[in-house]
Order: sequence, then C-alpha cells, then structure tokens
Amino acid sequence: FTFRIRKIEALRGCEIPLDVDITHCIDGVLGGEDYNQNNINQWTASIVEQSLTHLVKLGKAYKYIVTCAVVQRSAYGFHTASSCFWDTTSDGTCTVRWENRTMNCIVNVFAIAIVL
Amino acid sequence: MGESGPKSLEAMMMSDIAKDRMAHSVKKRGSMSSLSGREFWQKELHRCTKNSMSTVSYMDEPSQRDDASRLTVQMENTYQLGPTKHFPVVIVNHILKDVLTKYLQEEQYEPELCRQMTKTISEVIKAQVKDLMIPRYKLIVIVHIGQLNSQNIFIGSRCLWDPKSDTFSSYVFRNSSLFALASVYAVYFE
Repeated sequence: FTFRIRKIEALRGCEIPLDVDITHCIDGVLGGEDYNQNNINQWTASIVEQSLTHLVKLGKAYKYIVTCAVVQRSAYGFHTASSCFWDTTSDGTCTVRWENRTMNCIVNVFAIAIVL
Repeated sequence: MGESGPKSLEAMMMSDIAKDRMAHSVKKRGSMSSLSGREFWQKELHRCTKNSMSTVSYMDEPSQRDDASRLTVQMENTYQLGPTKHFPVVIVNHILKDVLTKYLQEEQYEPELCRQMTKTISEVIKAQVKDLMIPRYKLIVIVHIGQLNSQNIFIGSRCLWDPKSDTFSSYVFRNSSLFALASVYAVYFE
C-alpha cells in the first residue's frame, strides 16, 4: 500500500511548520494498520495526544485545538469545512490529510494566541 | 509629540531621470519640528514626487506612533481574571440543531451540493453565534457532512486551553442519506 501526504495550508500568523510533525505522529500510529473498529478509539486518542505534545514542546504562547477524523475508505463521500472568528494576524490553522489502503485521516490544528 | 528632542533626519535624493534610482547624497540635519513627526515626513514625500524627485526620510528614534501602526496591537491590561459572561453552551446547541435541520432536512447527498453546503452552514452558524455578542470570545466552527451508508467514521478532538473559560458545543444530524456534524469551539481571548 502507499500513503500519500498532502498539506492544505501552513499555519498562518504564527508560521510554525507543523505538517511534518503531525504526519510523523499519524505514521507512527496508523502506518501499516488496517481499519479496525476496536482500535479506532485508541488510535485517534493517541494521534491527537501526540500532536498536542509536539505543539506544547514548541513552547509558544498558544491555545491549541486538534481534531482528527478517521474514515473507512469506501465509495462514499465526506466533506469538511470550517470557519473561524479570530485575530487573523496572530492565529492560524494547519490541516494534514493522510491516507492508506483502508482509511483516510484528516487532522486539523487550530492555534489561538494568548496575549501575555 | 515633537518635543522629545532633536531628531536626526537622513534624506536620500534621487536623480531626475526616472529610471535611475541610485542615491546621490546623504544629508544629515537636526531639527525641531512643531508638527507631529509622521505627517511632516509624509508631506515632504508627496511634494517631492511631483517634481520627479523623491525623498525617503525616517526618524532614528521610534515613537509611540510607530508601535501603534504595526499589525500586532499592544493591549492594555484589563485586570480581569476571567470572562464576565461565559459562553452559553445550551443556546449554541439549539442554534446548531436549528441550522442543521433547516438546511439539511429534505436534502439528499450529492457531492456538489454538500460541498457548498458545508461552507454555507459553517458561515451561517458563525454569524448566528456572533450575534449572541459574547465579548472576548474567539470562535471556530467546523462542519462535517458525509454520505450515510454503513461505513465507519470516527471523529475525535483534544484541546489545550483553559477549561474554566473555554468550551465547545456540538450536534449530529442524520437523515435518510446523509449525516452532518457541527461543532463550535469558543476560546476566551486573554
């Protein structure tokens, strides 16, 4: 199987190159696995938690929201959209899409600045 | 504003030939200006360009006006420890339910329609939550729409924030051919 990684947009405003870190997280958890209903809960939890730990290690003054959607690969369609009301100069978002033979994974990271 | 002391001015004179933009001489003069710093230099710039000569001038010491014009705004301390008005989760739940039901009750899943619908619904929800006028809250609205036919999907999220002031609200809508999940995250602006 092959997995293709595409980034949608880099984190604007705070300019952190996150997509590489997050793809590593997803690879670590889902790489080589097939979709399995029993494990899916634990997989999403660990993807999200590992992404959060990476973000915290960057040491920036941000609040983070990480969402992860894992879909079984099928002939059926799936759409996602988001709209945000924030300060465009300091807040930003990053989205990573990952897929393998049996599933698709979409991870969204939203970072909101804390003014200290 | 111009009383802080002598300001040094460096002016670059450009030649008359339009294409040639090299600096020929640099002058330094100290002057006390009775006008406030910024407008004075701008006027000089406009005047010179009419005569096909341009001057670029800047002041050495940064003034308070420079700070205010930069993109990131320096906020004053409000001495507030937390939000005065908390985010009303229940009201937002109702908003999500109403919007999703109104837009998707009769719809069948179609790729083009749902693509437009996700964007529209997220904008509508954002506008309605903004109308609640909760001060100092930033909003993130996420909408997922998918075709409903016995495939599995799992959506999870984790947030690193202050749980006393930040919260989220979500709602799942289903009809015969599609499902929709809308979530709103509200983050307090400290």
